[in-house]
Amino acid sequence: MKTGSGANELWTRRQFAASLALAAGGIAIGGGRPLMGMAAGAAPASESRKKVALIATEVQKYSHAQHFVDRLLEGYGWQGEWHQPPIELAGLYVDQFPEGDLARERAERHKVRIYPSIAEALTLGGSKLAVDGVLIIGEHGKYPKNEKGQTLYPRYKWFKEVVKVFESSGRAVPVFNDKHLSTSWPEALEMVEDSRRLGFAFLAGSSLPVTWRIPAVELPVGCPLTESVSLCYGGVDSYDFHGLETAQCMSERRAGGETGVKSVHAVKGDKVWQLLSARETTRALFLAALARSHTLGAPIGYTYAMPAFELVRQASPDTVAYFIEHLDGFQTSMFLLNGTTTAVAGADQRTRNALFAGRAVRDFTYAGRLKSDETVSCKMHLPMPPWYATLADFFNPLMNHIEHTVVERRAPYPIERTLLTTGMLASAMDSLFRGTPVPTPELKVAYQPAVESQFWRA
Amino acid sequence: MPRDLKQIAFILEEFAVPSPAQQLLDRFLLGYPRDGRFYQPEDCQVTAYLAPGASDVELKRRMGDFGLKLAASVDEAVAKADATVVVWRGAGATADDRTLRLVLEKARAGTACFVRGNLASGMNAARAVMELAGSRKIDILAGGSLGVTWRLPEIEMPAQVVLKEALIVVQGAAPEAEFEGLDGLFPFIEGRRGGETGVRRIGCLAGADVWQAGKDREWSWPLLAAAISRSDSPQGDPEKDGRTQDLAGLGLVPKLAHAPRAWLLEHNDGLRSSILVLDGVVADANVAIRTDKGDVFSTQLYRPPPPGQHEFSRLAERAEAFFRSGRAPWPVTRGGLIAGLLEARGAALKAAGKWVRLPKRAF
Repeated sequence: MKTGSGANELWTRRQFAASLALAAGGIAIGGGRPLMGMAAGAAPASESRKKVALIATEVQKYSHAQHFVDRLLEGYGWQGEWHQPPIELAGLYVDQFPEGDLARERAERHKVRIYPSIAEALTLGGSKLAVDGVLIIGEHGKYPKNEKGQTLYPRYKWFKEVVKVFESSGRAVPVFNDKHLSTSWPEALEMVEDSRRLGFAFLAGSSLPVTWRIPAVELPVGCPLTESVSLCYGGVDSYDFHGLETAQCMSERRAGGETGVKSVHAVKGDKVWQLLSARETTRALFLAALARSHTLGAPIGYTYAMPAFELVRQASPDTVAYFIEHLDGFQTSMFLLNGTTTAVAGADQRTRNALFAGRAVRDFTYAGRLKSDETVSCKMHLPMPPWYATLADFFNPLMNHIEHTVVERRAPYPIERTLLTTGMLASAMDSLFRGTPVPTPELKVAYQPAVESQFWRA
Repeated sequence: MPRDLKQIAFILEEFAVPSPAQQLLDRFLLGYPRDGRFYQPEDCQVTAYLAPGASDVELKRRMGDFGLKLAASVDEAVAKADATVVVWRGAGATADDRTLRLVLEKARAGTACFVRGNLASGMNAARAVMELAGSRKIDILAGGSLGVTWRLPEIEMPAQVVLKEALIVVQGAAPEAEFEGLDGLFPFIEGRRGGETGVRRIGCLAGADVWQAGKDREWSWPLLAAAISRSDSPQGDPEKDGRTQDLAGLGLVPKLAHAPRAWLLEHNDGLRSSILVLDGVVADANVAIRTDKGDVFSTQLYRPPPPGQHEFSRLAERAEAFFRSGRAPWPVTRGGLIAGLLEARGAALKAAGKWVRLPKRAF
């Protein structure tokens, strides 16, 4: 498949103008090379494929683990072909088996063993590490919440068990952690430090930074970006993470790279609109991002609406916003345009429809402001099943990046992005809980982005 | 020629919410998202004429909300219009030549006309429409939204490329699905080396004959596999339990398809185009094209979800640019060829799976 240019860009005025033209018009980009290197097509013979273990909270229809497990076992559409991953799912550990469990059916049909412990999944029942990569999919399932409303998924605990196996085996292999690293900043930091200490590739985060963009806009590294706004839907401590990663994958490409975060102020309901009223450029970016939505709710008798604050305010009385100030003065604002915290995985169709009804938007959009006052905007395309699709194909590019990470033993983009978004989210939850802005001296996470574009466009 | 757009007339066969007529009219009445902002045509009065018998409840709502004017006749609607949009019922495969002729006769000289859907009922009717438009100095264009919607990925075929085979997968009833197939496919193939040369023969297949034709290389299984690898909506097991599944590689396509149809076209320069109507296999429109070098290009023609259906925003943008500039974003002859092919399809259906040679086409 042919794809566009845009990788390996350094900032030049001409390139940036081209980027903006793409953003403005969605003009098609011409031929080139495959985006993410890993070619589509048949997998190598089983004996030459690298083995991975997948550690999951639960595997049922539309749970995150189901998306990863099935892509590993069945393959997925990639660059115009059916792609069989060059890595083999060799061991599974599954923590919960709810009604509707698919882990056992998948394991039986594909002859993959479900081990009773994480250590055994990594050693394939032996005494030493026996896989070449580990996927930790700690999302969905029944887990307790803390007083701030954070779901206490066991990602950190499991990561530490993985590290223990690495240490006892005298070698470490690449690890992927789905979504944010932990609900706790110290735990997240420790996870990253472990990866540095043991020298293994560590990839983490959301599929939002790597999915299709409409239009397929990329910011050149070093661009004069001054502010980012992302709009999303879903619940706190859930889809807000995706909203933060939507913004951060763009923000990190600004001149100087990421410098870290100075403070986070999370607010809900009327307070959102009060704070927003005093921020002129944020308001403009809010409307620009809203204009990229394909799902903005409409009044009776119409099928779409003109983007307007009052419309969103009425449709989403429980809107949550995170106002984030970076150390270099850069600003990120994320708006979660409804208040549900219920996950759709495992829910029946009627429940899913009810959860999806009446939301101001049902997609993820981004708008960024440049020093020149120009705006760059796009939609991060999330064809969410069962409403818009039968497959959550935005997991395809994430799976492809995981394959790269395992095969090449190198993460294609820095773990610091997800370390920082993990910290932003933890601080936002703290701010919501306390009802005040939260200074974040611990979030001095400075990093440079991957120069090459990482999103799906081939 | 460039023109002001002070008044635009809509000639409608129906106006339900949602419907293509409503989607397109609302873009000019309310505005629409465009280039990252909400765009509203300035100082543009919208007038609509609705065919007798159709419900005008939603049009009346728009009279109150947005100042839409209703016209009692086609004459009245187009009398002062700088541009006219004609929207046929449903997917727009069935054209009403009489109404379009009336529009072109009554519209002011020097204006523009966009037909959402099929240009005419057949090749001769299309020629007559284009001649009439030309004689009255009216710029005319026809098309649907599938040809202008977003592509995932955003591919364009290289200029002057030599193409060997093209295939599109669509769904739905005939002839609407077939119209959408041509509307979605032509933008990819008409820019090939030598341009569109016309079609010399066609074949229509249904049921098991579709799969036999695939085995006989009358259409390309590899291109079908490439096209549906772009789908986000495979049916069958993926719908039941969310799994990814190689429908083509596992031989599941014939098992999943309900009443499949294939429409095969052989162009005068040898290009083979296939429109496969595969209900029950995938639920989105996907294209694959093979060049003479063996390169395969594939993409999904992405239709944003209802009720917004913002592919109509793309169509409105193209139509408005056409009205204002006088420059057609694609050749009107595409519409003529599509009209002729849909007409010829009727004869091919009677030939029960055999190739039907077409008279030499002027387009």
